[in-house]
This record gives sequence, structure tokens and C-alpha cells, in this order.
Amino acid sequence: MNKWWWLLSMFLCWIGAGFAISNARNSKTQCYTPLPNQPNRIVSLAPNLTEILFALGLDTKTVGVTTDSDYPPVATKKIKVGTFWQPNIEAVIAAKPDLVITLEINQQINLAERLRRIGYTCLELKIEKVNDLFKAIATIGDATDRQNEANNLASDIQKKLYSLQQLFNASDRIKVLWVVQREPLRVAGRDTFVNEMIELAGGENAIGPTIHKYPPIGAEQVIACQADVIIEPAMSQNLPTQHQGALKYWSKFESVPAVLNKRIYVIEADTVSRLGPRLYEGVETITKCLRPELFPN
Amino acid sequence: MSAGIVLVVVMFACSLIGTEPISLKAALLKTDAPSTVNPDHEILIRVRLPRIILAAIVGAALASSGVAFQALLHNPLADPYILGISSGAGLGAIIAVLSGFSWTIWGRSPIAIFAFAGAVGTTWLVWFIGRSTKKFQMTGLLLAGVVVNAFFSALIMFLTSIAKSEDVHATIFWLMGNMMEEDFFVLWIGAGCIFAAIVALFYISPQLNVLSFGEDDARNIGININRTRTVAFAVAALATAIAVSLSGLIGFVGLIVPHGVRLVFGPDHRQLFPLTAIVGAIFLVTADTVARIIVAPAQLPVGIVTAIVGGPFFLILLVRHSKKAIW
Repeated sequence: MNKWWWLLSMFLCWIGAGFAISNARNSKTQCYTPLPNQPNRIVSLAPNLTEILFALGLDTKTVGVTTDSDYPPVATKKIKVGTFWQPNIEAVIAAKPDLVITLEINQQINLAERLRRIGYTCLELKIEKVNDLFKAIATIGDATDRQNEANNLASDIQKKLYSLQQLFNASDRIKVLWVVQREPLRVAGRDTFVNEMIELAGGENAIGPTIHKYPPIGAEQVIACQADVIIEPAMSQNLPTQHQGALKYWSKFESVPAVLNKRIYVIEADTVSRLGPRLYEGVETITKCLRPELFPN
Repeated sequence: MSAGIVLVVVMFACSLIGTEPISLKAALLKTDAPSTVNPDHEILIRVRLPRIILAAIVGAALASSGVAFQALLHNPLADPYILGISSGAGLGAIIAVLSGFSWTIWGRSPIAIFAFAGAVGTTWLVWFIGRSTKKFQMTGLLLAGVVVNAFFSALIMFLTSIAKSEDVHATIFWLMGNMMEEDFFVLWIGAGCIFAAIVALFYISPQLNVLSFGEDDARNIGININRTRTVAFAVAALATAIAVSLSGLIGFVGLIVPHGVRLVFGPDHRQLFPLTAIVGAIFLVTADTVARIIVAPAQLPVGIVTAIVGGPFFLILLVRHSKKAIW
């Protein structure tokens, strides 16, 4: 027989065998394992999920976190299972979890699928907006049998936000330019949780609707947006240097009210860049920038 | 033969190296009771081994198609991606990410399927354009490849600049070569396709040998040049497309492994195809093991390791063996 026909027939046999074996295996494996009633070994794959777990009093049951989970400080002592963007499946398995909590982003959805294939239980949560946060707290509460704690946590945050809002006249909106990155200039758009936090603090995003969530903008838009306040979140260790840099950078936009009135703030990024149980602290920090007169100290 | 044994030894050794220390004994003593968790077994058998097998398949595919492309194009700079396969696959992948599809076909995600389609489509387009330039066929093919590559890269840049940041992140990892453990079925089919492709390339290696002396000589001996070229081109392109759809864009393997093997063992294609396949597999398995552990507990995209390790290694080979090299 011609060697090409021989190759083709061997190849087809191999493929056929593959289908046969995988069908046999699929019929054997059962469906996904359900959520355990009382998970005892939880792995969290995002810093804000870790914060929720600790706020619900699950600190002893949390066995693995990502390297960027730095709040509360004790969380850094837990086993590290990779970074938020690059979770390490071997480290997750080695932590022997009975529940893995992930965010609904591409890499983590993918990891959750791979873990399920091996037989682990995963809970995927979407936390993109403030409402998602409250839903996520409730979902985690249900999954870990901490419904009361979850209710208390959510209502506590809402109460504090409400009493903060009683301090000022909400109709008097202050225009905020939220700078994510200076070179090239990138700011927070309307479709972000930062936008919601600005609104909760009685402000308004100086930038109108955009295609991007965090649009790159040019000098023209900076001048046109006429922001009353410019806020730059930064890591705590380089707050002073970043403040110096910010004053210098923005001084060229003299016609912007924020620059004219020297209302440029560099704040700690920690509470305002992740959507977690410290939502109130973040909103309070923003309110302090928008209405310093309310906080005499 | 001995190269094959080296491959098996390397694969075994790499399966014992990882961020989590595992005990081979504990891993192999699997208890069947579902309640007792055996992380050692799961890490070794369900995570590490599939990933190492995948690396071997992809490495073999890229290296042997690199040999084919270098022979076809008479160009030492040729690699499996030179005719635009990479950018076509990349474009497919990013479209899949942006569209947010979540179905799977036979365990393959939309990214893999779109990447495969993009790779095959681009290759066909380049081949079609290259053919229509007739006289200087190989130069035409190369130029068409380079231009299509640049055009699709521009489209990729455009799409990444308007995409959401988390989607961009996912795509960037893919573009740098993202290995992960795959389902058994995917590995089985992938291995079958790649092995068949290497055997097919081996079948036509005598013709490729003659072709490398020049078209006229080949024609005088009575070799059907067009048929040889079409077969080699189609097989190498398909193997590359499959490799790319399995693990993203892993650069350098298809360029330096063929050259390295050629420098050390000589330019005979009958020997070159099996040897480069095995050396490519060994190289990628090793590189992927480095990628798994070097920034623990996180992981590097394997494409970074292949370039960083492969570049200097290749230069050393080049200086040492260049006297006997015939491209």
C-alpha cells in the first residue's frame, strides 16, 4: 500500500480511538461537585475577595490568598497561590481547598474551569459595580453559612454611606477628574466603580461617556472638562513624591479650576482601587477631597 | 533513538520539578475513595503531566515546521511564523476574547478555535497572493507574508487599544505563549495531528534535500517541485496552526532549534525532521519548566523563557559550529 494511504489510515484510527476513549470517560465522570455546606478550607483569588472573607470572620478558614492580598495585614501570612492575573493551579491544589472563590475575569474563569475538571468546587463572582459588591457579600455569606455576618456587613456599609451623605447638599455636584495614570494620561470613565464612588461622595465625573472604561485623554479634553478637583490615587510609600510630581505636571493647565484653586489631591490607592468591604473608607477619603470644610481635622 | 530516550528522561525529570514539592510515592498511591484528597496525585497526573506533554507536542510541531519553512523559502531567517501565521492567529484570538464567547467545541475554547481559523486563513491568503506573483514565487511569498503580518499586527494593536483592560491582559498572556494543562482528549488529538505531520514531512525529506541544491537541479532529476512545495507548505502551516491554537504564540523555538540541530548534525532533512522534533520537544519542556518555577508562586509566559534562554544558547552554537554549516 502507498505510504501516504498508510499514514492517513493510521491517523484516522488514532483520532477515532481518541473519540472512543473520551466518550467512555465522559460517561463515567459525574457532574460538578456541589458547594459544601460549611467550607473549611477556602482559597481566595483576589484581594477584595480576601477582604470580604476576613470581614465575615472567615480568617481561620481562609487557607490561600494571592500575593496582592495585603489587607487586613494578617492576610499576608496566608499561603500564596500566585498573583491575581496569574494564579498558580498547583499552589491552589496544594492548599487542599474545599472552596475556591474567583472573580469573573478571563484568567480566573479559565482557572475555575480547570479546577472543576479535576473536581474542585469554585464560586465565581462578578464585582464590577457597587451593587455587585453587595450581591457578592451575600453570595459568599450563603456559601459559607455566614448569612448574618454578611447582612450585618452590608447594612453597616450602607448605613455609614447614608450618614455621610447627610452631611452635604447632594445637588451641588463637584466635577472630579480621576487620574489613573499621568503618562500617557488616562482617567476613570463613567462606566467604572470609581465613578460610582465619586457620585456617592457627592461629585460628578468631569469626563463624559467614553468607549473606554479608563479612557486615554489629551490636553484638549483636560482643558475642556473644567474639573473642580483632580484626584490621583497612589501607593502609600510614594505619596509625597507623587504629590510633588502632580503639582508640577498640572501647573501647565492654568485654566482648569482645580489647578487655579490648588485642588489637586494625591490619595492612597488602597481603598479606592479595589471594590471591597472598605468601600465606605474609600468614599470618605474622596469626600474629604471634595468637601474639606466638612472635616475640620 | 537515543534522542527519544533523552526526551522521556527530561519529561520525567521535569514532572518532578515545580512550585509545589510533591512526593512521587504519595502521588502514585492513589486511593479511590473520593473523600480523601490526594493533592500530590492531582498535581502530578492532572496538572503537571498534561502540561509537559503539551509542551512536548508544541515544541515538536514548531521545530519541525521551522525546518520545513527554512527549506522551502531558502532563507535562514524563516520560522513557522514568517508567513503571517502568528498575526493571523493573534487576530483570531483577540477577536474571540473581545466577542466574549463562552462555548467550547471538543474542549477547545473560542480563543483556540478562532486562532486556528485565523492561522489557516492567513496562510491561505499569503499562499494565494504569493502564487499570483508567479516568477519569483518564493520572494513573492515572503513579501506577502511580511506585509500581511504587519497589517494584521496593526489590527491587533487597534483592537487592544480599544479593548477593556482585563481583556487586554488575557490577550497579552496569550500572545506571549500561555501553556496550561489541557484535557486528555485535546492532547490525544493534538499528538496524533503533530505526529502525522512530522511523518509526512519525513516522507518528502529526500525531495526537500534535492530542492535545497536549487530548483534547476531538482527539475533535472525529475522532482515535481510544485507538488513538493505545496505538500511541505500545507503540512508545516497546519502543524503550526495547531500548535498555536494549543498554546498561543511561542516564539524562537521554530527558529533556533532547526538551526541548532542543523549546525550540530548536518543539513540532511531525512535526519533533520525526527531530530528537530525531539530536540524541539526537549527544549520547550525545559523552557516551560523554567517558566513554571522561576517567579513562583506566579508563572511566566513560556515565550519569554524560550527567547531569553534560546537566544544566547543559539549564539554559542553558531560561533562553535559555524565552520561546517551549510544553510
